[in-house]
Amino acid sequence: MKQPKILFLAVIALLALVVVSCIPGTAQPTGGWSGPTVHDGIIYVGTRDGRVLAINSSTQSQSWNYTISPATTIYTTPIVDDDLVYVGSYSGQAYALTIGRGIERWVYPRTGSIGAIVGTPVVANETIYVSSSDGRVYALDTTYGDLRWKSEPLGKPLANKLWTSPAIMGDTLYISTFDGHIYALSMETGALSDWSFESEAGFASSPAIDENTIYVGSFDRHLYAVEIGSNVSMWQFPQEKAAGNWFWASPIVNEGIVYAGCLDGKLYAIAAKTGEKIWEFDAESPIVSSPVLIDNLLILANESGVVYVFDLSAEIRDEAVPLETISIGADVRSSFCAHDGLVYIRSENNSIYVVDIDKGEVAEGWPVSLAIAK
Amino acid sequence: MEVWNLIIGNPVLNVLITLSHILGGSFGLAIIVLTVIVRLITWPLSKRQLGSTKALQDMQPKIQELQKKYGKNQQKLQQEMMKLYKEAGVNPLGCLWPMLIQLPIWIALYQAIMNALATTPENLLNLAQRLYSWDVVSQAIPLNSHFLWLDLGGQGDFVLAIIVGGTMWIQQKMTQAPAVDPRQESTSRMMLLMMPLMFGFLTLMFPSGLALYWAVSNIIGIITQYFVTGGWGYLKFRSPFQPAPAKGK
Repeated sequence: MKQPKILFLAVIALLALVVVSCIPGTAQPTGGWSGPTVHDGIIYVGTRDGRVLAINSSTQSQSWNYTISPATTIYTTPIVDDDLVYVGSYSGQAYALTIGRGIERWVYPRTGSIGAIVGTPVVANETIYVSSSDGRVYALDTTYGDLRWKSEPLGKPLANKLWTSPAIMGDTLYISTFDGHIYALSMETGALSDWSFESEAGFASSPAIDENTIYVGSFDRHLYAVEIGSNVSMWQFPQEKAAGNWFWASPIVNEGIVYAGCLDGKLYAIAAKTGEKIWEFDAESPIVSSPVLIDNLLILANESGVVYVFDLSAEIRDEAVPLETISIGADVRSSFCAHDGLVYIRSENNSIYVVDIDKGEVAEGWPVSLAIAK
Repeated sequence: MEVWNLIIGNPVLNVLITLSHILGGSFGLAIIVLTVIVRLITWPLSKRQLGSTKALQDMQPKIQELQKKYGKNQQKLQQEMMKLYKEAGVNPLGCLWPMLIQLPIWIALYQAIMNALATTPENLLNLAQRLYSWDVVSQAIPLNSHFLWLDLGGQGDFVLAIIVGGTMWIQQKMTQAPAVDPRQESTSRMMLLMMPLMFGFLTLMFPSGLALYWAVSNIIGIITQYFVTGGWGYLKFRSPFQPAPAKGK
């Protein structure tokens, strides 16, 4: 009798262990994907528990916070335009809050959901363009949150889901999809342009546009350059063997050179016209966040929290040497921003770090969840 | 965690994604084929367990004889039946071992489904770090999470829960040997009900993809059991300790 009972108890105990270890959400990391946005000395950031925070960068105190209920993750980086700050939630609603006090101006949709919003929206011409996990792009009026249009050619969504951010050139919105398409939409009506691009592999990154060319990272471990209007890619990088991993972060283009960070830990400088490698730099840790530019300085952060500064005005060399290397001592997965010579980084340990590029110093990080200033 | 991913997690994940690509992008079919592969790998254990079941069935006349002989002395009956089991080299609860062996596969499969279907951006980014540099793998990403009526990355529904629980009950009932005394009978009966109920409940909490694995695994178990032991086993067997149903007049 003893053996069967012990066996029975062992099965129950192991199953309980499986349940505890596997139930979704039990191992939720504390960091955040929502990068910081700085406007008039205030840092705006979203949290995993559905809060939008406004933090005074001088006093490091919280100006206000707005909590989305029920709690949900905010993956999008807040966008500030005029007197409103915009965020999208994973529960599938877009919010406009006043920048002064964080009061809700509008929410779309008022009830229900349009599908998880992961890609950071873009704002132009008094319209906010939101890509959603229901595979559609929504154009909302920035003042009232009214729906201007949603992309639904032939009554169908553009893709199974859209997690990328749209990019704008002229009066057209460009969006890359996980199933390997780049679509061009009229910003005015949402109508699909006659041109679209199709690749065998899906696109992992949001598109970046420069001089009529779209640069986008693919799941096949290549960076694609696609001339708008063409059905074949201008080039794919690397030209021979694929890179070590995906080009997850959007590249940036400066003076004819594409700077693309890769999850294989390398930053590649690529000739925009030919796709030839100019140099590569091994950051020794995946590059999840897109690099940013401050004048002629390129700022790069790897996942391990090491910030590299490259002087782009220096003579191009075969091997790139960073001007400065600064470690913030915490992992970085979210986008970061530059403002007045300072770089604001939100880390996975849920803190904000301010890197002074001129001085080559990083101020001690402070936690995102601060008490509200009296 | 690194060792776990290296040995079990990453191989299961990459095999699953590769299968999905080979099977025309159907992640559901990939799970079914993986289930067949797992059942083939665990076949030596299953075969041994099925052999035990068959031996138990063949022992039924002897067991009934013992029950007649020592029906009034439960302690003696238990001793004699255990002796009989021992002589025949069978374990009445041996069917649990294949299940225990499969636990690491379940955990790896759960993680593989969550990562492969990338229900959150973190999952997708983590997936990038765990993929092999095979072209077939990169071509398969992202995966289609829809199969039949199921969203394989979402929680299972009641239909799937009933299928999982029902097939598990049938499989267990087919293999569960008769109890040797009323005390063991209550344990067996509890187990026969508890496991299907638990897995039915887990189906509602876990991704449908994992529940699909359970359901297919159970169905394969029922089919092999049927053909190896030559019938429905103990499915129609009534315990001698259960009261007989009242006969109609």
